[in-house]
Amino acid sequence: MTTTNLIEARDLSVRYGKKTAVNGIGFSVAKGRVVGLLGHNGAGKTSLMKALVGLLPSTGELRVLGLDPHRQRVELLESLCYIPDVAILPRWARVDQLITIMSGLQPRFSAERARTLLKRTSVGPRDKVKTLSKGMVVQLHLALIAAVDAKLMILDEPTLGLDILSRKSFYEMLIDEWCDGERSVLISTHQVEEIQPLLSDVMMLNEGRLVLSTSLVDLDQRFVGLSHDAAAADQIAAAHPLLRYRQQGQAAALFDGAPPAHVEALGQRFQPSLVDLFVALTRAPEMNRTVG
Amino acid sequence: MHTWNETAPIYRQLADRLTGQLLAGDPPEGEAMPSVRVLASQYLINPLTVGRALQVLVDDGLVESRRGVGMYVQSGARKRLRRSERERFLTQEWPLLLARLRQLGIEAGELNWDL
Repeated sequence: MTTTNLIEARDLSVRYGKKTAVNGIGFSVAKGRVVGLLGHNGAGKTSLMKALVGLLPSTGELRVLGLDPHRQRVELLESLCYIPDVAILPRWARVDQLITIMSGLQPRFSAERARTLLKRTSVGPRDKVKTLSKGMVVQLHLALIAAVDAKLMILDEPTLGLDILSRKSFYEMLIDEWCDGERSVLISTHQVEEIQPLLSDVMMLNEGRLVLSTSLVDLDQRFVGLSHDAAAADQIAAAHPLLRYRQQGQAAALFDGAPPAHVEALGQRFQPSLVDLFVALTRAPEMNRTVG
Repeated sequence: MHTWNETAPIYRQLADRLTGQLLAGDPPEGEAMPSVRVLASQYLINPLTVGRALQVLVDDGLVESRRGVGMYVQSGARKRLRRSERERFLTQEWPLLLARLRQLGIEAGELNWDL
């Protein structure tokens, strides 16, 4: 395996007893990337992230920052930033106390940098966690984590339950303070539409399998949307699109690769969004059940 | 947050937006373009995507990359842009507009040119 990638995974599986949460996936994350990890609840996102930081055992080949997450977990956790989906900060603590605690726990943590990051927010050093809104707590958490001098940040649904303004502040801090062309972030979210502009790459999990793993550059070129009149529906369907749906009242089809010219001539080409692709490539668990 | 539509990839839409601003003289010729970081922050877009958008402007001869210092608006960029935009209007937009005018039976004399 090359050591230039921050994450290298090959044939990676995560199992809980008989249940397979992540099923033989392979991918890599290079430096300077913002990778979105998308999937329905139960698709395996959290299990994958836990395996990456060594909190769940996995099989297959896995290197994170050149380390084996299982055997070198302590060393790994010191050199990356991770916010789990159940992350909480102690309610009794004051912000400046948390900074002191972090300084003691994490050798790569910079108190100075944390204070600088917090100046962007409305969180004050003397505030107690229990007096902060949910959005402010997430901002504080990100500031504490982003103050760790690391190359990789792993965020499990950091914007869950936040209102639009808090999410925007979160994205701003991520772009302004983390993305420097060297550091990378892997972020799982259900906010597919609003995260898309921030991403350089996207990974989609469906029932533990990686159904899409690509850069946005390739995505732009690979998938083609075609909006068309109802009259052309049969001919479009015969060309086997990935998905047929309605978009702003208009019939549309999504193709993997450009459709044949005679099919493309039947409609108007458009750029499918990540949401369209997500719907085409993943299925909600309840739908899978009915399919059997 | 800025909204992006599905007519084109985001980098293309940002390139069009920046081109529109250049046509309006923002920033003026010879001046520096905002940096990738500034644009990424302003539009909340991945810096690599911003880089792609700026590359479109370089390819169109509107801005030039000066090694180590950033992007600058080329001299004559606005004039060239105006020329190509005029060309595009006359060949692509005007025929559609004309068809619409004919459909509605509107004569040239009925149009208010003093708006």
